[in-house]
Amino acid sequence: MPSWAPLSADQVAEQRRGLSEEQLQHRRIVNINAETVTDVSATDIPGHYGPGQDDSWDLNRFAQQLRIDYHQNRPNDAAFSLIGLDASIANAFRRILLAEIPSLAIEDVFIFDNTSIIQDEVLAHRLGLIPLTGGTKGLKQLRWFKKPPPKDDFAALAVYDQDDLDPSASTPNDHNTVVITLDVECRWATVEQDGRDGKQLAVDGEIDPTVRYINSNVYAHQLVFEPQGEQVQWFSGEDVIRPVNPDILIAKLRPGQRISLRCHCIKGVGGDHAKFSPVATASYRLLPHIEITAPIVGSEARKFQRCFPRGVIALQKDPASGENKAVVADPMKDTVSRECLRHDEFKGKVKLGRVRDHFIFSVESTGQFASDELFLDSVRLLKAKAQKFKRHLSELEEGR
Amino acid sequence: MIIPIRCFSCGKVIADLYEEYVQLISTPQPGTDGDLMPDGEAMDKLGLNRYCCRRMVLTHVDLIEKLLRYNPAEREIVKIGQRG
Repeated sequence: MPSWAPLSADQVAEQRRGLSEEQLQHRRIVNINAETVTDVSATDIPGHYGPGQDDSWDLNRFAQQLRIDYHQNRPNDAAFSLIGLDASIANAFRRILLAEIPSLAIEDVFIFDNTSIIQDEVLAHRLGLIPLTGGTKGLKQLRWFKKPPPKDDFAALAVYDQDDLDPSASTPNDHNTVVITLDVECRWATVEQDGRDGKQLAVDGEIDPTVRYINSNVYAHQLVFEPQGEQVQWFSGEDVIRPVNPDILIAKLRPGQRISLRCHCIKGVGGDHAKFSPVATASYRLLPHIEITAPIVGSEARKFQRCFPRGVIALQKDPASGENKAVVADPMKDTVSRECLRHDEFKGKVKLGRVRDHFIFSVESTGQFASDELFLDSVRLLKAKAQKFKRHLSELEEGR
Repeated sequence: MIIPIRCFSCGKVIADLYEEYVQLISTPQPGTDGDLMPDGEAMDKLGLNRYCCRRMVLTHVDLIEKLLRYNPAEREIVKIGQRG
């Protein structure tokens, strides 16, 4: 059997018994030195550690090692550790979260009247960026709206296959388009309507526009959802389509200025436009690893502690000498600034690194879906893509 | 001109925080003798943790307030003021 031949799970387990836990742990570390970073690549490649010691990827071992620990799980901000998988998979989740999970956003804006000082195109862009939310069930079953190319874009029209498309997908209907309207006009505050005379107040020196005028600020909560057809069933009551943040300032007006428009919201993906991205940020970092190889005591320990962010290094009373000894308390808080490597007194006493297969994920949803739900969606989407790829491969094999 | 809806770099919604931010840094804190809240503290309070979102509110110049003064309503008041 060649050295690169994959071993069965039993064989691997047998061989691993020979390796100490310490050795196994050592294999997971990316070394961070003062100037260089070493051992970056994953080692689960057949024959990486020579013959007879196969570390190649194995499904059973993967299933045993994979772990997910939640640090915090709020709807708009989730942080969790994903342990025991390759960087390529973790990165795939991150990229799917940013660019491939569909969400609803304003795409077309029909402006009937805009006499504000915000230009039409700027206003439309601002509206597009407002994150919307509504009944999750209704949002999930929303269909795609396929926009036909513009009439003067001949190159796009040539590629655009009319027959291949479902005609109902490129006409707005209640299954693929959500309509939102905005109608605001600014005016002076009057005694009859508002109980104060804005003009008189202005003459008297009042400068606050919210006192002088009515509707001087246009906010996102003034957007009105207009259910079409069957949408009444999916988006009513608590599930109504609304902006996530009701206090978003859209525009500012002065008396006589008016904004009247209708928006068509469609389902889209972040790869097309960032407004469709369901997350504000989705990122990960590797767990920092600090190894103190020789005891650091006394005043040096205190200096060592100050080389790291607060809470990373703790001081412990050493029973033998009665002095303070530096111990690693919480490596997760470290930023790996490498400050401790700049000082000569710590030379040879500390080793910095990162754990190669421990990803600290942070997913910050914009509010349309919960953050943890989004991560599960990204796993589902990757699975679906893998299955599609597999199907294509088998079709290729069959010569279709 | 007007506060952007989202942070340019990370996409966090910031347009709903700006008015609150201005409010926080311009009103005297209770329990002190008229001290204003430092900018950094106000941003921490609003949950602006990353430096990309912090620069959005910290460095924003609300020029729209100046442009809004070019309108007939404003002129009317000046006229009345001059007459009286």
